[in-house]
Amino acid sequence: MDKNIKYFENIWIDPPIDRILYRLGYKKNKTRLDENQMANIEEIIWEGVSFCHPRGAFLILPITKKTKNSVTIGKHLIESKSLAELLKDSKEVVLAASTIGMEIIDKIQDEIKKENSIKAVIFDSTASQVADKTVAWIMDFVNKSLEKEAKKITSFRYSPGYGDLGLEYQKIFFEELQLEKIGMKLTKTYMMVPEKSVTAICGIEDVRKDE
Amino acid sequence: MDKTQFYKILKEKIVILDGATGTELQNKGMPKGACPEQWILENPNAIIDIQKSYVEAGSMIVYAPTFGANRWKLKSFGLEEKVREINIELVKLSKKAVGDKALVAGNLSPTGEFIKPFGEKSFEEAVEVYKEQVNALLEGGVDLFIIETMIDIQEARAALLAVKESTNLPVMVSMTFQEEEKTLTGTDPITAVITLESLGADAIGCNCSTGPKDMIPIAEKMKKVSSVPIFVKPNAGLPIVKDGKLFYDLGAKEFSEYLDKFARIGVNLIGGCCGTNSEYIKLLSEKAKKYTPKIWKEKRESAVSSVRKTVFIGEKTPLQIVGERINPTGKKKLQQELLEGKLSEVRRFAIEQQKKGASMLDVNVGMHGINEKEIMIKVIENLSTFSELPLCIDSSNPEVIEEALRIYPGRALINSISGEEKKLKKLLPIAAKYGAMFIALPLDDKEVPSTAKGRIAIIDKILKEAKKVGCNKEDMVVDGLVMTVSSDNKAPIETLKVIEYASKKLKVSTIIGLSNISFGLPERKWLNSGFLMMAMAKGLNMAIANPSSENLMELKMAGDVLIGRDENCKNYISYFGNVKNENIYSKEKEENTRDKIYNSVLKGEKEEIIEFIKDALDEGIQPFDIVDEILIPAINKVGDLYDKKEYFLPQLILSAEAMKKGFDYLEPLLLKKDNNKTKEKVVIATVKGDIHDIGKNIVGLMLKNYGFEVIDLGKDVPTDDIINKAKESNAPIIGLSALMTTTMVEMKNVIEKAKKENLTVKFMIGGAVITKEYAKEIGADGYASDAIEAVRLAQEFVGNNK
Repeated sequence: MDKNIKYFENIWIDPPIDRILYRLGYKKNKTRLDENQMANIEEIIWEGVSFCHPRGAFLILPITKKTKNSVTIGKHLIESKSLAELLKDSKEVVLAASTIGMEIIDKIQDEIKKENSIKAVIFDSTASQVADKTVAWIMDFVNKSLEKEAKKITSFRYSPGYGDLGLEYQKIFFEELQLEKIGMKLTKTYMMVPEKSVTAICGIEDVRKDE
Repeated sequence: MDKTQFYKILKEKIVILDGATGTELQNKGMPKGACPEQWILENPNAIIDIQKSYVEAGSMIVYAPTFGANRWKLKSFGLEEKVREINIELVKLSKKAVGDKALVAGNLSPTGEFIKPFGEKSFEEAVEVYKEQVNALLEGGVDLFIIETMIDIQEARAALLAVKESTNLPVMVSMTFQEEEKTLTGTDPITAVITLESLGADAIGCNCSTGPKDMIPIAEKMKKVSSVPIFVKPNAGLPIVKDGKLFYDLGAKEFSEYLDKFARIGVNLIGGCCGTNSEYIKLLSEKAKKYTPKIWKEKRESAVSSVRKTVFIGEKTPLQIVGERINPTGKKKLQQELLEGKLSEVRRFAIEQQKKGASMLDVNVGMHGINEKEIMIKVIENLSTFSELPLCIDSSNPEVIEEALRIYPGRALINSISGEEKKLKKLLPIAAKYGAMFIALPLDDKEVPSTAKGRIAIIDKILKEAKKVGCNKEDMVVDGLVMTVSSDNKAPIETLKVIEYASKKLKVSTIIGLSNISFGLPERKWLNSGFLMMAMAKGLNMAIANPSSENLMELKMAGDVLIGRDENCKNYISYFGNVKNENIYSKEKEENTRDKIYNSVLKGEKEEIIEFIKDALDEGIQPFDIVDEILIPAINKVGDLYDKKEYFLPQLILSAEAMKKGFDYLEPLLLKKDNNKTKEKVVIATVKGDIHDIGKNIVGLMLKNYGFEVIDLGKDVPTDDIINKAKESNAPIIGLSALMTTTMVEMKNVIEKAKKENLTVKFMIGGAVITKEYAKEIGADGYASDAIEAVRLAQEFVGNNK
């Protein structure tokens, strides 16, 4: 695969209805919901989806140095024991980012202003799950592209702000992936705009003979 | 070689293609990461040896090693200015290797870039990049073209158009499917065939990614619908890494055993991809001699496609509804959005119609004040990834239609081509070039015939002209032309006659724009659905209509069953079979007014709660008792159900909203009696440095629903502002929110400052990274993981938590 940034301008994401409901507290076999209520909620989910514009980018970079507590990716030193552990069998990493755009964020705020809590919370849950599924889709795309080289991505992915991977590493994603191109921004306090955006890193490993 | 000669060979025998090039070059010493094209030119004997061995093994077509010799791919090696010479030289090497014993196919493969609508590169740029390579390959003297290993149907279309617009030589197109029989961008084998064959591919196949076993079902599906030859080039099984080297797990003998299966399916050309070599090709070639090739179908399917779906049209398929809603006429909101270049309303209509059962989406963006071509392109690019439904391009401007068809990554339906001379002349060749299906509209320059006879004459003329440019009747859908019954009561009969003629005599598919029939009359749905039934009985295949009309869709489902277009009533059962009128609240008694109010809160039904409360007041129940004895017990019951997970957040909100509506109505009456009773105040804010406030805003809304007065200071709020507001408003509670580890530390500053200033206030905090422990650590009085917990904390703080 080329060592340059790939951008996806339009990604189709089927809304993960189960996960959206779960995020709202729905428990299968426990929560009592009749078909009409479910249909109404699903309708709001789909309306939320119509305001989402999933886009993304990824880039494959070499790991130039590894220690027990840190990894160097390209020119960037990242101090994180858990990331070093994740990448222990990798020579390369995938940096990926996804966003679903500002329109859904504006819509959520609109609904809050209108004091329409139902739509606000369902849109919010939908937006979070769609953004998350978008980055998962990108990682899956990379994984499938790697199949013919007998390589695969690591089973887990990390994002800045999780575990001991500091939020400040967010800037590596913005620098390497040039995320402004897909409408993303990073604030001084390392927050992503639009709010429903995700960055993720995972390793690339060889497929072993027994897999 | 021309297409006739190409097909002649394929009718005589199963044609053997070559085996792998890339893995064979690596075996000859090509280092990892090298530019294959450049390495070959520096080591010409390597490719000559490989290709000679293929010809000796029986290959009749050999791919020139120009896989990555396009401008974008060569750019990564700094060779983008040498596209022409590299391609010419590589073809020369192949020709030298095979002599006159085999044909040389110019090889076009992925550019390594993603094309719109999926990626960022424009479709036209991609076409130009391929054209540059095609022209060089033609100069080199290739006999035909192969477009292979494509993962994106749109990129395959760009390459195919580049070839078609440059030469008449035969062109084969091969997609790469993953295990789940989809390309990486979601196209299935049937859809790939429908799209590529309509755009002019002379053979369609699949290569790489899987071994022969997984390619069998793909080839089967392709063969079933294809009117061109099918080919396969599987890998030698699955790749594995052993001692740092790449191997494939299927030997030549096992590989060649699959030929029998492929021959029986009707595969017309076969070779090998990654991991194969001349030994594999030799065994294939020997086995293939036993078989007489199966000939492909004569006529292509009446079908339209998107990136991810094909919709078949015909007498055996159900009536297909073309959703009519994406049309600005009479829709102010859509008009406004299109003027502003926004598409959320378009997407909303797309989803709504898809969910309600439309098979296709009609797209019309014609309105005053917009650049129709520009907006049409934007809508198509958006919808072709956003919705899986194929599109019907609806415009009166032929240029808009042409541009739309060019960039649409599937096989579209044109709405429409009339018998007007100018339209025929301009649009039929466009339909033929892009392989689109088209609606034939029976009107011409002279008139809109009111009789079936007049319309039939125009339909015959359109079909005759269409055939001249290479379209077939399978590509045409006749519009019965629906006129308003209120202005001519014979009009429906004439339309039905046209439908009958087209479907029974001409044997072409038919369509109507349904809602016209009832224009100007009341209760239009009855006329619409009544006429739809009559037209279906005459053989109607499609209707442009609003699928949100339940009445219409229900009758359509019934109609499909009754005229034998719904095998085993499958669609009917799945549409109606799951309808259950289960009422989860059925156990709740509803005998008197108290129960009605209670149940309104319990069920989250706010519509009638005021009426019920009025009734209760009329019955003499005191306002305070309504609150204390009905509303509060009801919302507490909801809280219990939520705790037991029998309710989830949306239900809780609905109940809280019903409660608030009731409470708001009663509040003035309560205040009359108890002047001291005021709402408790809560100041909420997202702390300094943090710009996330959706969660905090939802907490604010829930607090309001539960009777608190919320003072929301917004996001990125400095400590002093929070403290000052709490002092000024005398609020007993401050709620702080932060989403990030970097900003949550600000919460501590706010709490410390409050203590320093001796502010008697309770702090509750929340946010994605906040924990109970953190709340304790910084001296907050409570932590809430969600909005309802925040409400409960607030109630606890003010001692109102019964």
